[in-house]
Amino acid sequence: MTLLRQYLRAILSARKLLITTFLLCFGLMIYLPFLMIAFRSVGKGWFGRLWLPPELTLEWYRWAIEVTNIVDITKNTLIIAVLAVTMATLVGIPSGWAFGRRKIPGKELLMSMILLPRMIPPIAYALGVAQVFYRLHLINTHFGVALAHVAVCAPYAILVLSATFEGLDERVLEAASVCGANPVRTFFHVILPLILPGILSSMIFTFTTSYNEFTLTLMTYGKDTTTLPVRTYLAIGEGYWEVTSAMSIILVIPSIIVLFMIQRQVAPEKLVGGFKGV
Amino acid sequence: MLKRGSKARSALFTLLMLLPGLAGFFGLFFYPMMVTVVRSFRPEGELVGWTGEHYVKFLSEPRARDVIVLTFVLSISATLCSILFSVVLCLVLRRKPRGHRFFRLTMLIPRVVPGLIGALGLLLLLGSRGWVNLFLIQFIPLVEEPIRFNYTIPGLILFYTWLYFPFTAVTTLSTLESLDPAIEEAADVAGANRWQVLRHVVIPLIMPGILAGSVLTFMAAFGAFSIPLIAGGNYRPLSVEIYKQINFTPARWSAASARAMIMAALQVAFLTFYMRILRRPSA
Amino acid sequence: MSEQMIELRNVTKRYGDLLANDNITLRIRRGELMTLLGPSGCGKTTALRCITGHNIPDEGEVWIDGQNVTEVPTHRRELGMVFQNFALFPHMTVFDNVGFPLMIRREDKAKRQERVMEALRMIRMEKYASHYPRQLSGGQQQRVGLARALVYQPKVLLLDEPLSNLDAKLREEMRFEIRDLIDRLGITAVYVTHDQAEALALSDRVAVMNAGRLEQLGTPDEIYDYPRSRFVADFIGLSDFIVGTISAVHAEKKTAVITANGLDISVPATPEMSPGREALLFIRPNNVDLLPASHAGGTNVFPGVVDKTTYLGDRNDYRIAVGKDLELRVQTDGKVRFKVGDNVQVHLPLPLCRVILE
Repeated sequence: MTLLRQYLRAILSARKLLITTFLLCFGLMIYLPFLMIAFRSVGKGWFGRLWLPPELTLEWYRWAIEVTNIVDITKNTLIIAVLAVTMATLVGIPSGWAFGRRKIPGKELLMSMILLPRMIPPIAYALGVAQVFYRLHLINTHFGVALAHVAVCAPYAILVLSATFEGLDERVLEAASVCGANPVRTFFHVILPLILPGILSSMIFTFTTSYNEFTLTLMTYGKDTTTLPVRTYLAIGEGYWEVTSAMSIILVIPSIIVLFMIQRQVAPEKLVGGFKGV
Repeated sequence: MLKRGSKARSALFTLLMLLPGLAGFFGLFFYPMMVTVVRSFRPEGELVGWTGEHYVKFLSEPRARDVIVLTFVLSISATLCSILFSVVLCLVLRRKPRGHRFFRLTMLIPRVVPGLIGALGLLLLLGSRGWVNLFLIQFIPLVEEPIRFNYTIPGLILFYTWLYFPFTAVTTLSTLESLDPAIEEAADVAGANRWQVLRHVVIPLIMPGILAGSVLTFMAAFGAFSIPLIAGGNYRPLSVEIYKQINFTPARWSAASARAMIMAALQVAFLTFYMRILRRPSA
Repeated sequence: MSEQMIELRNVTKRYGDLLANDNITLRIRRGELMTLLGPSGCGKTTALRCITGHNIPDEGEVWIDGQNVTEVPTHRRELGMVFQNFALFPHMTVFDNVGFPLMIRREDKAKRQERVMEALRMIRMEKYASHYPRQLSGGQQQRVGLARALVYQPKVLLLDEPLSNLDAKLREEMRFEIRDLIDRLGITAVYVTHDQAEALALSDRVAVMNAGRLEQLGTPDEIYDYPRSRFVADFIGLSDFIVGTISAVHAEKKTAVITANGLDISVPATPEMSPGREALLFIRPNNVDLLPASHAGGTNVFPGVVDKTTYLGDRNDYRIAVGKDLELRVQTDGKVRFKVGDNVQVHLPLPLCRVILE
């Protein structure tokens, strides 16, 4: 190896070192908070300048389950999420079909409009939602909270489903009819399998959105419809970091699992909720 | 005759399909916003009558200016930090270093978990007994006492950046990856070194992507609610101000609505200004 | 001053399991236009990128103008390059695009202005100085690419399939422009293409590449008339191949006889030929004569039957069954036309029969 080649390789590896350090720090910044919460949730007697809790225990989780009634709260969260997903999908499929397969005047404008609730942070219109719901006696009902969630879930559903329907090649349907399939059979054998991944994808997104939703829930919840995010917030106010951490772990695990599960199929842009034309 | 009929039918059908979406939009967003607008002009606790007192009262308070300035300072700083960080991150990731797929996923984590949890984790991590301070005290000789990160403005900016940088990073990365590599090679051959290529060719060409993402970051940061709620300490940006009004007994809906309207107006105004000034002719 | 402008010495480049360049040694003379020709995946672009520095060879060296530049980064090699998809900077005007290399070299504004306008005049685009690339046609963009590559007077101009993205008619026009420009500037050029017509029309010398290796290096006529391997013979122009054995060598007459498919074909003899050796005979379809059945007899005249005919306007394309299990493709001008089933006499003119010994 010539001297120059060695020299260049050294500079190249210094660069690599810098990059590795950078990425390492990045990874740490993102994951350490969760790790910290995790340890806090199983730590006993963790005071002072200790890196790790001296004792591990599950009593905080037990506390969360028994005292704070986390099972019911999780049930609430799931019920609301399922309701929200159902409603959002029922809204999303026809809208997605319309946007994806029909020429609509001012489509871009309409799409931007529909995505407005996701672009404008919820606190601004959550106020109005709360007032309207009070009048309609929807506060503290599972249906009510789920309906509020639809405001932020439906845009996702519409976005994903319109892309799904857009991707449905007209010619495949034509080929099906040429092969002899009537509309019903075409639907079940051709259309449905093709749009199913899109529908599943949108359902996963809307589920995570509803599951994690805080602001709108805060405005529309009540004693019987407390969700995990809200309860966690209340717990932070109460000051018991350990129990709060336990609750947070319970809250956060599904999201991370879902993320790693679907990471192969979906483009990151969709998850982040960006859209064209900003 | 038949053709015209079916065209009309098709249009009607399309409209029907759009109806649920439009209904949802109007019912869950537009109408509530209108309610808020109207409520902001009503006297507190009443359902009739018009008054501008909530706006006047809020805007004439010296506190109001502080709140608004705080909100802007937090959002703009977070946006700038996000841009800086995202550009570096994306330039690193696009060369596909070891484990880049893992880091692309990592980029999304702040958006997939509830903001609350991220804030909680950061509070613990940066607290006086958190690992960051433990590390600094043990390994950095100059640091004797734990540094206060939480409940400070720089700390809040860090929280905001942590939560909202993915918007910028994702769009920057996708723009970066859609760049034709031949263009950079051409700059290379023409005599530009790595920095010159970045400065004269790459950055100008990904600017639209960076800006698109940073708009999202800014909007999210401007309206951030759960974070300042639990980690803001004595600093209360506009979103928390709104919530505070509702927490009085009896709840001050009109005051809250007025503040919400001011917030929405500021957001729209800034956005329009931002887009007009900074929009370049697309490459 | 060395006569060689560019040298690739034993350059080898691997991509994982793929051997993109296998021990390539190539010398390009000062002022010549050398074309790297070959099918996709043959390694011609890899070799070009070794010259530019975008690829660093795993083994071997790259020398430019008497200096070992193997480890010199691209931006210091003082080369000019034209790309297949033009690669103009979309966010800069034509003027800024062409002036970019000068700006990098910190030339003062006035001088820069002068040189850019001169370059634009050279390609007849001075009126388009304030246009953006997206406002230009393909041909115009490519000319701007040329100007940008030449404005700082590099020692070498590299062209990576510059005409592939243009339509056929434009391609022919641009071919002449490029050659003209290169001649006027007296610059050394390396041209990469898979289009053999382009290679034969443009080059001083052609390097035919296949599967990472250099198959043959020569002038266009040498490549066309005297290919040294089956691949080159097949790749350039149309060929008829006949596999046979050398049955006799007549040194005094400077001919040899190859027996194949039941025919004894006389060919020009070369020193390497010896009886018993396997040989590949090839002849260009347009060099084969078709005579009516009555013209039997003579050296290399064999009876045959027309299997297929295709009318191509200016030519006729025939498949003729001749000898045992041999079908020859023959192209003749439009004058005499044979039909399927006609008996003909196939004449393989001795001087035009080429033999490849592998």
